[in-house]
Amino acid sequence: MIEARQLSKRYGDMLAVDGVDFSLERGEVVGFLGPNGAGKTTTMRMLTGFLPPSEGTASIAGFDIFNDPIEARRCVGYLPESPPLYPEMSVKSYLSYVAKIKDVSRGERRQAVERSLERCGLVDVRNRVIGTLSKGYRQRVGLAQAIVHEPPVLILDEPTAGLDPLQIQEIRELIAELAAPAKGETQQTVILSTHILAEVEAICRRVILIHQGCKVVDAPLSELTAEGQSLEELFVRETMGRSSAREERA
Amino acid sequence: MRHVTDVAGRELRSLFVSPVAYAVLSLFSVLAGVFFILNVAWFNDMLLRLQQFQAFDQLEMMNLNDHLITEFYGSMSVVLMFLIPAITMGLFASEKANGTEELLLTSPLTAWDIVLGKFIGGATFVAILTGIVGLFPGILFVYGDPEVGRTLSGLLGLLLTGWVYTAMGAFASSLTRSQIVAFLIALVLMLVMLLLPAMSDLGVAAGASWVGDFFRYLSANAHVERLLRGLVETSDLVYYAVVIGTFALLTKAAVESSRWR
Repeated sequence: MIEARQLSKRYGDMLAVDGVDFSLERGEVVGFLGPNGAGKTTTMRMLTGFLPPSEGTASIAGFDIFNDPIEARRCVGYLPESPPLYPEMSVKSYLSYVAKIKDVSRGERRQAVERSLERCGLVDVRNRVIGTLSKGYRQRVGLAQAIVHEPPVLILDEPTAGLDPLQIQEIRELIAELAAPAKGETQQTVILSTHILAEVEAICRRVILIHQGCKVVDAPLSELTAEGQSLEELFVRETMGRSSAREERA
Repeated sequence: MRHVTDVAGRELRSLFVSPVAYAVLSLFSVLAGVFFILNVAWFNDMLLRLQQFQAFDQLEMMNLNDHLITEFYGSMSVVLMFLIPAITMGLFASEKANGTEELLLTSPLTAWDIVLGKFIGGATFVAILTGIVGLFPGILFVYGDPEVGRTLSGLLGLLLTGWVYTAMGAFASSLTRSQIVAFLIALVLMLVMLLLPAMSDLGVAAGASWVGDFFRYLSANAHVERLLRGLVETSDLVYYAVVIGTFALLTKAAVESSRWR
């Protein structure tokens, strides 16, 4: 579903992402881990077509992000770090606008909006102006925006940042539901970045850890925790160990 | 280009659900009314004076189109020069500040969908403002007999000038994430536009008459003047299309370049 080949991003002299490769199958839920500034957001932005890679390429659902950018973007639902909301619009008119620009046909639009309102628990606030909603609700509107066109691929950048424990629980359940849907709904491939390791353990089946722009771990969660080590130990070992090794070399 | 109307529609709706549109519309109506009354009073004063001095030749020359409507349109074009940057400053800058730029650029939209949608949204609002201006000469038809064709072609000139300002303002907004900076850039662009005739004279004085001709063509003055005299010529319409098109191209380049920074 998602294929990244030697993805690299250079900002001037700084290499933010350095030759990241991975390939995800349909229905996989992958936790994207790494310390702040490791290049998680940049990688996600390249996959969504917001930033062009300096080198390498990627394809979404078989569409290359350079050759078929419009097709590739149609297959992605994206929740950026801060949800892209228009504060002056109502929840419903916002979602209907997003459905329009995501190419949901006129006949299916109303139903698509209703479904995403329902799935994200927004039915009660559908006519509220987004600017007056609490942070938790705004995050849900952001998520509803990402799934309104039922994309085969979902890219979520820290979907639970800043939420309270109850809201985090709800969002996690929703993501789990998206990856293993009821009959008749499309199964979605999900990449989510987070700092909360417990979250990865709760919903992801595979972990990709990047550090200083490079992929350092890519394995199923079960394999990583098989030897009794916690994800936290792994995270610390991979990121701390490597940076000290790098400093020694320097 | 299928999404131009979607983007334009959202832009207009956002204007009308926030107080901005209503503030601008009411302010503009009040200003238009004040300028209209002042122009009528001035016109009346001129007539009285010419009668007093028995200057019948000049009295004969006075007419509603030249001495009232044209003046009124001129005043309103100055008001538009300050109001339009206030409307266009948010077109792109607010998307960047809100983070909604990420939504637009990761949706299956082309750069033209975004640029034309934004322009048409702003241009529609400017058309509403021009419509308000048009109401006032309408009153004159009740009490006098201005020429219909000239009144309308002059209004067309005002509308097209407003759209040039909209294209400039949209471009200014695409360059920055700060609305105030966008407002200032747009204002400077418009002032440069106003100074073009003076620059053209400078070119002629320096002996480079082609520079003078070039600047005179770029300036909107000559084109508006012909429209105010009632001459709707293809060459002038082409001029407006070229200027608006150029700024649309520049805006598109700015939107696309944001991906590469």
